[in-house]
Order: sequence, then C-alpha cells, then structure tokens
Amino acid sequence: MIRLGVDVGGTFTDFALIDDSGGQFAIHKQLTTPHDPSDAVLSGIKEILKLNNISISDVSVVAHGTTLVTNAIIERRGVCTGMLVTKGFEDILDTGMEQRYDLFDLRITYPDPIVPRTLRKSINERIHFNGDIETELNRDEVIQQTRVLIEEEGIEALAVCFLHSYVEPAHEREAVSLIEKTFPDLYVSGSSDVYPNMREFERWTTTAINAYTRPMADRYLQKLQRELASLGFNGHLYIMTSSGGMLAPVTARKFPVRLLESGPAAGMLMSASLGRELKLPNILSFDLGGTTAKGALVRNFQPLKTEQMEVDRVNESRKGSGFPLRIPVLDMIEIGSGGGSIARIDERGLLKVGPQSAGANPGPVCYSLGGRSAALTDANLILGYLDPEFFLGGSMTLNKEAAHGVIRDNLAKPLNLSETRIAWGIHETASEDIARAFRIHAAERGFDYRGAIMIAFGGSGPVHAMRVASKLKIPRVIFPFGAGVYSALGLLASPLSFELSRSRRVILEDIDAEGFSSNFLPLIAETSASLKEAGVSDDQISITCQLEARYFGQTHEIVVTLPNNNLVDRFADVRSLFEKRYSEVYSFAAIDAPIEIINWKVIASGAEPIFKMNYGLHVEDQQKINPMKGTREVYTEPSGYELTPIYDRYLLSRGMEIKGPAIIEERESTCVITAGSRAVVDQFLNIVAELDIV
Amino acid sequence: MMDEAKEFDAVSLGILWDRLVSITDEIESTLVRTSFSTIVSESYDLTVVVLDREGRLVAQGSHSIPVFIGTAPRTLKYMLQKFPPETLMPGDVICTNDPWMGTGHMFDISVMRPVFSTSKGTLLGYTMSITHLPDVGGIGFGAAASEIYHEGLRLPIVKLAESGVINEFILDLIAVNVRTPESTIGDLRANIACNEVGGRQLVEFLNEYAIDDLSALSNAIRNQSELAMREKIKDIRNGTYDNSILIEAIDEPITLSCKVEVKDEKIDIDFDGTGGCVARGINVPFCYTNAMSLYSIKCLTIPNLPNNEGAARPVSVSAPEGCLLNAQPPFPTGARHAIGHFVPGLIFGALEEAAADKIQADNGMIDLLTVQGTHPDGRPISTIHFVSGGFGALNGLDGRDCLPGPSNMAAVPVEIWESITGMSVLSKKMIPDSGGAGEFRGGVGQEVTLRNDTGKPMTVLSMGNRTEFAAPGYNKGKPGALREHQINGKTINPKGAHVLAPLDTITLRQAGGGGIGDPRMREKKKIERDLALGLVSTEGAERDYGYNA
Repeated sequence: MIRLGVDVGGTFTDFALIDDSGGQFAIHKQLTTPHDPSDAVLSGIKEILKLNNISISDVSVVAHGTTLVTNAIIERRGVCTGMLVTKGFEDILDTGMEQRYDLFDLRITYPDPIVPRTLRKSINERIHFNGDIETELNRDEVIQQTRVLIEEEGIEALAVCFLHSYVEPAHEREAVSLIEKTFPDLYVSGSSDVYPNMREFERWTTTAINAYTRPMADRYLQKLQRELASLGFNGHLYIMTSSGGMLAPVTARKFPVRLLESGPAAGMLMSASLGRELKLPNILSFDLGGTTAKGALVRNFQPLKTEQMEVDRVNESRKGSGFPLRIPVLDMIEIGSGGGSIARIDERGLLKVGPQSAGANPGPVCYSLGGRSAALTDANLILGYLDPEFFLGGSMTLNKEAAHGVIRDNLAKPLNLSETRIAWGIHETASEDIARAFRIHAAERGFDYRGAIMIAFGGSGPVHAMRVASKLKIPRVIFPFGAGVYSALGLLASPLSFELSRSRRVILEDIDAEGFSSNFLPLIAETSASLKEAGVSDDQISITCQLEARYFGQTHEIVVTLPNNNLVDRFADVRSLFEKRYSEVYSFAAIDAPIEIINWKVIASGAEPIFKMNYGLHVEDQQKINPMKGTREVYTEPSGYELTPIYDRYLLSRGMEIKGPAIIEERESTCVITAGSRAVVDQFLNIVAELDIV
Repeated sequence: MMDEAKEFDAVSLGILWDRLVSITDEIESTLVRTSFSTIVSESYDLTVVVLDREGRLVAQGSHSIPVFIGTAPRTLKYMLQKFPPETLMPGDVICTNDPWMGTGHMFDISVMRPVFSTSKGTLLGYTMSITHLPDVGGIGFGAAASEIYHEGLRLPIVKLAESGVINEFILDLIAVNVRTPESTIGDLRANIACNEVGGRQLVEFLNEYAIDDLSALSNAIRNQSELAMREKIKDIRNGTYDNSILIEAIDEPITLSCKVEVKDEKIDIDFDGTGGCVARGINVPFCYTNAMSLYSIKCLTIPNLPNNEGAARPVSVSAPEGCLLNAQPPFPTGARHAIGHFVPGLIFGALEEAAADKIQADNGMIDLLTVQGTHPDGRPISTIHFVSGGFGALNGLDGRDCLPGPSNMAAVPVEIWESITGMSVLSKKMIPDSGGAGEFRGGVGQEVTLRNDTGKPMTVLSMGNRTEFAAPGYNKGKPGALREHQINGKTINPKGAHVLAPLDTITLRQAGGGGIGDPRMREKKKIERDLALGLVSTEGAERDYGYNA
C-alpha cells in the first residue's frame, strides 16, 4: 500500500511517499499557496504520483500536517466569535493571569482577547468545585443571549465556557445541544469537550480559539476531502495533531485547536521514530530553519509531551506574552535563533544574535532581497559553511560580498574587532543560545541529556548541530536521511491517536479501586469513540492511562503512566509508581505525604504504522562517482580558515567514513562536520558523526 | 579598573555572561520544580544568585522579583562574618531569615552554599537562593504584630548543613514552630538541593572555559553593566527633585519623602523627611528600601539587562536611621512590602518632568488576603488570595487593566482557589471608570466577591492600601479609583483581621492605576473604544474626558 505525507509549511509544501512493502520512496517539494493551501496540496499530490507512475487509487492514506490554524490566529483570520460564560465571570479573558512576564520593562503588552468583551455574555448557572449544582442552567437565557450575539453582533462561532465544567459538564453540554438545535448554522464549542482541565483562563482561551478557527478548518478539510475524492482517492485522510497523533477529519474539524504546530510536531516525531529504529532511547531533536527553530526531547523512545503551549506571542517570543493554551502537545523548545536572526550590538555593548529576525523576506543581507542587518546566515556564509552558488541546491545565489560589507560596517568597525571574529562570534553566540535553550528546557523537565544523541534537520540545523552538541557534551549527532522533508516523513510514522485529560482533584488515600477506575472509564469510552470514527476496530485500539499527581501541597504535577492492565488491580500500585517516578524526576527520596491526583488522562491509539527506514533514493548505481565535489576555505576554531573537503550527500554510500573538518552538502541544507570528529554513513544513509569530546 | 576586563572581548564576554545567567535560571528551575508552596512555584517569590569569591553579585536569575535586588551581597557579608571563608567546607549550607541581615522580613529564607573547585579545592564563589516560606510561625503573614517577636521564628545565621550533612535539629526546630511543616520543610530542602545543583553547574562552566578565577569575569561583567547604566542615566535631565506622598499606615497617614539628585551619570536618592516607625508589621528595613530604589532606576534605564552589582554602583541610596524606610529592631517588619511598594511611585513622581517619557504613573497595586480556616474535607487551610488593581499608564501606553505592580503575584485561578479553600468566588469583574483618566489611561481595577462555603468560621487578614490615597497620575494625569473591602456589603477596615462566618461574603474592590497626561488630550477613538468595551461609562467620559457623543 502507498502512503503519502503532505506537510504545509510557511514557504514550502513538502511531500513524502512510501510503499509499506519497502519498495518505493519519493519526495517532492513545491511552493506553498497561502491564499488557499489546498491548491499546492492537490497539485503536489498529482505531481508526485505522476512522477512515480502511481495511481491515486493505490494510495491508502494521505497524512496531512498544516500551519493553517496557527496562521489563522497570528493573522487574526478566524471568524467573529462570541462567548457564553458563567454569570459574574465575563471578564476572565481580560484579567488573564494577572502577572507580568517582564518585571523591569514597564511597557508591557499582551495580545487582545480573541473574543472582545462586548461579545461575551453571561448565563445564570453555577456548579461548585466538587460538581454540586448551586444554580440550575437558565435555558431561556442561553437561547436569548445566543440570538442577540447572532443577530446584533453577527457571530459565526460560539464558545460556551462555564466554571468547573471539567468536573461536571452537564450545564455546558446542555447549553451546547440547545444552541445546536436552535441555531444549526452556528459553530459551537464547549470547554469541557475541547479540553476539560482546571484553570478557567487557559481552558476558556483554548475554547475561544477552537471556536474562532473552527469554521475555516471545517471548510478547508471538507474541501480537501471533496477534491481528493474527485481525483479518485478512496483511502483515508488523516490530520496530524500537535501531540503527534493522527485524527480523522471528522474529529479534526471539531477540534482545530489540536492542529496547532502540527508540522514541527511531525519532525520531532520522526526523530523519535528514527531513535526506535536505531535503538537510541534518548534524543535531542533539533530543527533550525530560516525563520524558526524548534527543539524537543525524546526520553526512553517517547517524545516528551506537555499540555501547555502559547501562541501569538506579542513580545519577541517572550514566554508569557501570548495566549496560554491547554492542549496535548509535544513539548517543543522555543529556540530564539533562526537563519534570519539579526546580529547587533546590545545595550551592554556586546554582540547579540536575535531575537529579532529578518525572516525569509527580506531575510539575511546575502539573499539580496533588501535585508540590511547582518543575520546568522550571513555569518555562516562568510565562515565558508555555505556555498554561495549552491544554496537550495543552486536555485538561489548568495551575495557574499554584501554579507562581508554589513558585518564589517555594522559590527566589526564599531566593536573594533576583525570581520572573522565577528562572523565566528555570531555563529558561536547562536550555537550557545541554542545550547542554553536545550539546557534550560532539560533542567525544567529533569532530563539528563548527557549521553543522549542529537538529531539535526532543517536548513541550518546541520550547520550548527555539532557545535551545539559539543557545548552540551553530547557525543553523537545524526544527520538523518530525508532531512529536507523531515516533517512530511514524520506524518507517515505516526499512529491514529486521540487523548483526553480531565481535572479531578482527589487525594489517593481518600478513594478506593472502584472510584479510581471510574475516573478513567468515561475517558476511555470517549477517546476510543473518536478512533472508531476514523475506522479503527476495537481490537486495534490500545489504551494508555496516565495520572498527573503530586504530593499534597505541591503545585507541580508529575506524569505517572500506568502499566497496561486492569485498572482495579493497578490501583494498589499507584503510590509506588508515583514514588518511583518522583525520584526519577527530582532525584529526591520519597516523602511521607498524601498523594494528590489532579488530572486523569487517557491516550487511545491505533496500530503503529509500518515504517521502515531502509528506503533509498536511487543512489546505489552512483556509487562509483567520487562524492567529493572539491574544497573551499572553511573557518574552524582555533585553526582559522583551512582548505576543507566538500562532499555531495547524494553520492555518499553506506559505510563511507568522513573525517572532520568536512562539509557535506545536500539540496536543502549543509552538514558541518567539525575538526577532530568522524562521520560514518549508516545502512539507512543517515550520517552519524561522533564528536571528539569529554 | 578596566584592565582585567580586557581579556574578554565583545564576543566572549557576551557568551560567558549569558551562560552565567543561564546557570542561575537552571538553579531557579530546580528550585521551582521541587518546591512545595505555591508562593515559590506559581508566584515566583524567589531569587537565585551567583556571587564571586569577594562576595560580589555576578548573576541573578531572570525571574527574580525586584525585592531581592542587592540583598544577597549584604546577607553574604553577615554570613561570612560569622563563618569566615577559610573555615567553610564543601557541602556547608548556611541560612538565615533575619530581616536586617536578609531581605527585610522573616518569611524570606536566604540559603547560601560556598562553591569549591573540584580539582584544587579552592573557594571559587557562592550561590544563594532566597524564597518566601509558606509560614514561619508567630502571628502569621500580615501587619498584625507590634514587635518582631510576634512574627515568628527568627533564625540567626546558622549552618543548615555541615560538609553535606543536614542539621536535622534546625529542620525539627522549624517544623514545630510553623503551621505548615510539610511545605515549609519541603521548600527548605528544595533550597538546599538547588544550591547543590548550582554549585555543580558553576564548576562545570568554569572548567569548560578554563576560567581559574571567577573574579576577573565578574569584574568585566559588572564594569560593563555599570557603563551601560551610566550611559542611560545621561538621558535623565540633571537636577535635584523632591517628592512627598501620604500613605496609609495603620492608624494615621504617614509621609514618605524623597530627594532624587541626578548628576550626569549618577543618581543619589535620599528619604529624609519620611515619618517614623509604627508598632505594626509594616516597617521597612533599609535593605528593602534600597532594593526598591535600585529597581526603580533600573526600570528607567536598563530594564532589559541582566541584573548584577555593577548596575547598582551609579546609584546611591540613603535613609535616616529609624525612619519608616530604615526601620530598626525590634519594630516588626512582616508586611514591609505594604509600605515598600510605594517607593517606585515616590521616585517616579519626583522624576515626573526629568524623565517624562520613561516614568510610570503609580499602580493600583495588589491586594493580599490571608485566609485561615478548615476546608470542607477537614484539612486546615492557610493560604493567600492575590487580586490585582490596575497598572499605571506610561507616556504612549495605557496601563493594563488588572495587572500587578511593582510586585508580581499571579492571581490564583477561581477554579483552583475554590477547590483548595472550599470558598466560592461569586464574581470577578472589572470596574468601569476606576482607571485614572489621562491622555493615557490607567488600568482599571476589579471587584471580587468571595463567600465562606466551608461551613465553619474563617479568619481573613489583609493590609489593603489605596483606601484613602489613590494611585497618583503624573503630568496632568488623574489618580485611579480607591480600594475598598466589604463584608456582607458593609465597608470594613481593610487593615487587620476579620472573622468570616459561614455564608458571609467578602468583597475586594481593587484600586485603579494612575493616568499619564491631560485627559483632554486623549484621542477620541480611544475614548470611544473604552466606551464600547464598557471600561469607561458615558458619564465618566463626559466628566473625566469632556467627551460628548
């Protein structure tokens, strides 16, 4: 069976095609069509099938990742959205966290609420934290307020957000179903359906954003389904979520907020998948592109996940300056550097790189698109890491003279340092910033990265990977095969999966085995139902139950995964499982305090897709050609510029060994193999570099 | 002075400096992750610092709140007087919560650990963490004490661990003296653990870059900060500026006065003219006054630079001994922030003309309500409810509604507050017209009503300010609305303890932030936006802005 991964990114839409029997593998790339991303998706699918002589009727799965939802929020292209909330709490979206993300910068700003104050109406109803109902839902008011919002404000979508609905969703669900019956054209999202977690500001914000983006996601996915069908496609369309699972379109159309950042998630997932194939349990996944950079950690073959993310940060990516959302996501590291990151002299009089970015347009000065500030790519060009004639496989020429000029005039002269010192300084500062992002992220999660390996991809990831790794004392870096379409490949490595977590604060000692399992059962039913909608049969569904728990009195929870087994039997082990996990995370002995369970979480997954790495890109017959393209001057510390061999990645054969310093070029990126290290091409055509450190 | 700095250039100094700050951030995240109390993990009432062998502060965690600026070097000095550096051993941990040696009140514990070279065994420097403990016994968090002895357990400078062995007696002593032994001891242990991590990181860092002596790097970093600070002070007009404000103390208003002298690259601040101490826990030891003064100047000059002792050098702060801003023992200091938080506004007011584009109108400030009682599940409750007034405006920017300043305690979400206390929040709404009018409007306050649904009486303690003197606006901007507390709809004394019988309600009406600039100069479309959003009423628009639809 043929499966096709399609990842829509900011600049390119990437395609990867595999045959589950291992026979065929192809990739394709074309420009994204921002006005209607489905244009590029459909024409690219036709193209890759035609190039490989495959009929669309032989395609069993199209797996899709998209930035549609993220862009809709950042560009405020969602629909006019209203909100019904518990009476007395109309201002929750305005008051927010009541906390400053910067204590010293008094000119602090936040994004405007997605639903303005005028479109938030109150409803008489009240449920207590324990689920007791104090005030019954006023049904007439629900209808009447919704009517006002539709008729006077022209809303197309509505978020229904009541207090404590994660404990007792009755009022919210009743309101949603009343509205759906009375106003069938309105898109309605209830907070207990979108994400039934404690903390009203985050849950309501998440729900408002879900409502806001739902109509466009719904129309987009329906159109895609329709058009694919008209091409003769009769397989399954699956959509990638932020947490690395796949959803059927019917579920994705209900919960578009779950699709945020699904492209980067797919890349991270691919790293985890490669780790399983190569038996590498702990990985730092590192993706450095032109405008953005992301990292993620893989522990014991599993990418770390979280339920917290932020979108639309208004202040140079400062944590806390965006909308805080609660959805299951891969725990992405926000790295402030990209190829477009601007180098400048900061207020300390020292060299600094980013967080401002020239992006892809105008981009670095060497793009000759009007950029006037020295960017990271300009420095990498001067240092010889990039070939001005072979950028994006030669489809773009870089202006090295212009890069020299800007670095000399803007930085070297005022700081009274040499151009080379500045260029190296920019490269090194960026590498240090990236290493710091990994360090802090790992420290916050109790992840010991020493002994882990790094997998690097994206346009500039392979340029910096070995410097970053050496700062982190990571002994090995893998430059994976297919790095240019890594996210599209990752789409093919992910199972169907849906997860739900519900807050219910319980002291472990206060409940029995039956009470324990009764908290999980509805979640199991709900998550399984969404997989069945996608056509997964009961016997293929596997269920993972997790608890988020802490010692009574603490405020940060740890995740405890229950072994797959009878829940009633597992109850007796909860305390010891928690203590074991606690000492792993905190390297602290257990404490004699009650255990408090906060969130109950269930992940339902379908079968893991067959995904073998042993695909080749028709390179075998080219083995006899010398893979060394030539040499050029490349800078390394401390030896300075040296004539360094340049290799063509597509001509490398399995088992080949390359000693650093060396440069290995591929179409979309360049691997910098540092001096003293050694790189070997493995059986799957990955380049595995061993660092000479520690 | 600059000679030592020459071994670092603009590239290497940037990298090493950022790395040191990142070490403090890593220590901070260990502290936050392992702490037990919300005050550490959610409110970030903490700091982490690295000091060099000479005891000078080189790096401070990015999340540190302003209170802790400049306290650590003084605390360290006292610690080293008692335990001289040559007597310290690897694995020693020293602490104190003394208000005068620490941070101004006994709730903050300063925990220090010397860092030794692993190869040579020589002393390299120190790390220190400071956190606000959930409880220290005594009368509880608030202003109710009349002497320091009422405020709980005062720990002299003491070794919490010797050569890696924890002194269990000290932990026992604390445990029997506090209301919440589990979380208090848990937080202490988190402090010990994070300093251990910090020491390890610092040694690794120095080894990695082959730095033998942290002091040379420390000099370079501090010099560079000092230069940056001096450069920015030049943007403030030279002159001597006075300001004097009345603030609510317990019985009668007290005057806070300051004189700010700006001279080229230097600022001198003196608080002469400030009233005397009172027999309630609102007296401010000088360390706190100093911290808030340095904070104010940093906001006006180099808000985005990492903090260290260099930035403090161009600023000198003084206050007459015995005045409210330089309190002496045995005056109680538990709620010293209640007065200390007025220092930035006092200084900004003095610089109203000299730094018109930089200063902020004063804030509505935060309201802390300590709640004690019994949860319906039978467990004891002792926790703090934070709710914020409006943020002061700046030239060119309206103050944000319901945002704290200068402190930064996040509000506890309604759903969490209700489940941890058993109280119900009946409503939480912004108050129209409460933001000070101005060309740039002050942030509005909010009204929060809580009901005792625990079935048992509860005690609520507060020290609400701005109930008589509103947040001033500057440069013709108007003050924000006043704060008010009510029980069952009747106004109560906002300072002190009250009993909340079952089903009683307490309403906390928050003060607005001050405005900046003449309200008549406010753009029409901004007034109309405020009207549409309901943040300004029709009457308010007419009265305060002269706006007619």
